[in-house]
Amino acid sequence: MLLEVKNLNVKVNQKEILKDFNLTINAGEIHAIMGPNGTGKSTLASVIAGKKDYDVTSGEILYNGKNLLEMEPDERAREGVFLAFQYPVEIPGVSTTNFMKAAINAKRKHEGLEQMDAKEFLKLMNEKRAVVELSKEFTSRSLNEGFSGGEKKRNEIFQMAMLEPKLAVLDETDSGLDIDALRIVASGVNKLRNSNNAFLVITHYQRLLNYIVPDFVHVMYGGRIVKTGGKELSLKLEELGYDWIKEEVGETV
Amino acid sequence: MNIDNQFTAVENDATKLIRQKAYNAFEKLGIPTSRHEEWKYTNIKTKLSKEFILTPLDSEVNNAVKNYIASLPPYAFRLVFLNGVFHAELSIIPEIEGLQISSLKEAFATNPSLVQKYYSKLINLDSEHFAALNTAFVSDGAFIHLRKNVVIDEPIYLHYFFTASNANTFSQTRNLVVVEDGATIQLAEDFRNASNITVQYNHVSEMFVGKNAQLNLVKLQIETKNVKGIHTLETQIERDGSFYVSAITFEADVIRNNISARLIGENAHADLSGLYFGKENAHIDSHILVDHIAPNCTSNQLYKGVLHDEATGVFNGKIFVKQDAQKTNAFQSSKAILRSKTAHVYSKPQLEIFADDVKCSHGAAIGQLDENALFYLQARGIEKEDAKQLLTYAFAHEVIDHIKTKPLRQFLCDKLKEELKLNW
Repeated sequence: MLLEVKNLNVKVNQKEILKDFNLTINAGEIHAIMGPNGTGKSTLASVIAGKKDYDVTSGEILYNGKNLLEMEPDERAREGVFLAFQYPVEIPGVSTTNFMKAAINAKRKHEGLEQMDAKEFLKLMNEKRAVVELSKEFTSRSLNEGFSGGEKKRNEIFQMAMLEPKLAVLDETDSGLDIDALRIVASGVNKLRNSNNAFLVITHYQRLLNYIVPDFVHVMYGGRIVKTGGKELSLKLEELGYDWIKEEVGETV
Repeated sequence: MNIDNQFTAVENDATKLIRQKAYNAFEKLGIPTSRHEEWKYTNIKTKLSKEFILTPLDSEVNNAVKNYIASLPPYAFRLVFLNGVFHAELSIIPEIEGLQISSLKEAFATNPSLVQKYYSKLINLDSEHFAALNTAFVSDGAFIHLRKNVVIDEPIYLHYFFTASNANTFSQTRNLVVVEDGATIQLAEDFRNASNITVQYNHVSEMFVGKNAQLNLVKLQIETKNVKGIHTLETQIERDGSFYVSAITFEADVIRNNISARLIGENAHADLSGLYFGKENAHIDSHILVDHIAPNCTSNQLYKGVLHDEATGVFNGKIFVKQDAQKTNAFQSSKAILRSKTAHVYSKPQLEIFADDVKCSHGAAIGQLDENALFYLQARGIEKEDAKQLLTYAFAHEVIDHIKTKPLRQFLCDKLKEELKLNW
């Protein structure tokens, strides 16, 4: 098992967001989490990545058998956890290239490797830029500064390609994307998937799952997964919305 | 007191009068205490030595100076001063038609009428304690006169090294720069402590920017550990002229930068910026004044500070808009990042507007590094401390990026990375 979330309870500002949440992800799998707004999808992503504003009251997250909650966010990342942000941050004066240099070398240091030499780094950049069809000029610009929504998301996938995580969490990467950008992002993910890594794709819409075909689709509601199925579940949600789910779990909104 | 025997450098009958007047003024003013409004957050009296040795020290050129000079590009124009004494053998003086450049002492000897036309004309002896002291006891400095329409592309460096052997030594250095109509020049004033001990200096620069002329100045205070330095920069900008100054401070014991720009002709522009890093007990004070006297002028202030440990930053930014200065457009921004709980910053914008048709705005922000940005960097595997340095770079680079003189901008960009231990 790559990731095991067990009976996780999380509060934000005293409010319970995740309630006895359980999820298991194995290497080689793609999981999609869908669900209406405010059900805790993004909270789950942030807690996995290690954001501080969340209060984990009970439960655990095991990653490769290690207690993920005891690790700092940067340590998690160096161990292979990646979060594609819903709202990537703009960093003026620091190019994507230099940012990636810092990130790659932090990871290499963690693995006991020397800094990557300039030639090798450039080669890697060229190779990974191609994955998301980014121009060279793009990576020399200040990180995310003045980027369009689509450019920011492509940059997230580019960073993911550079860092080759074992577990990638995509937090609504499809929101605000036009169809071309969506196709590029999805094809990036498909090029990167292999039997050693796994993806957790959080989305509102079925649309993305036409391009990234999940092994499992989970429906989240009220802070927990209430239904799990295959790709056909996402199609049903697209057609019928979430009301039937709410009825099934015995609640109405 | 008779000041004759205190004085060794700049001298003729006319300056003797100015010096005596300045001395009398200083005698009245003394060294300010924190009771003085302009020195409220910088108790300079307790920071400087109790007694001063004001006579310039003709000291030997030590290895620190030699090594630094050797590291400079061999073609870079420069005037070199050590403890307030001019060293011709270390200097490279450009020979360009229309440019007169020499030590102030030499200029007084060879062209007194030109120097006297400008010398001490921008100094208010009755209110400026340290400018008065400097005027009374000035040792030497640079004189630069650029004739009409002459454009100098290469920056000229004015290096001031200090290696005081006595803790009471208080060097009094001075520059006078005159840029005639339509001329353009780029200057750097570089202050360095070339010893391991504390040095004290009091530097004054007067700069005149003519009609449609341009002056770009960078004040470098990057090798100024253990420095107690008072800087006064007085500028006057005529119609269509523009003046750019950036003061970059990486180290200090105590540094005070008094910078003022008087916009006296229509469409003149003043751009004042600063970046300061305070570590340990450093105290860095920027007192800025932009005086809009003529109509249709523009001014911009951009100040950023990063304070660690027990360091203190002070920003006081004044914008005066006089009655005739209609259609003034003045902007001020001052931001500081506190990197420790024991660092302090005092920020005070001060706008005094006597014209009715003006645009003036100011913004001040003091805070910590952005938590969301920090998380973003950490989520890519960058260690927290490194992420903080990276974000500090992102914060600070704007001021460096603002510098118009390309070689200096590049040099400072590299220095900033070195300062923040960023190896890319």
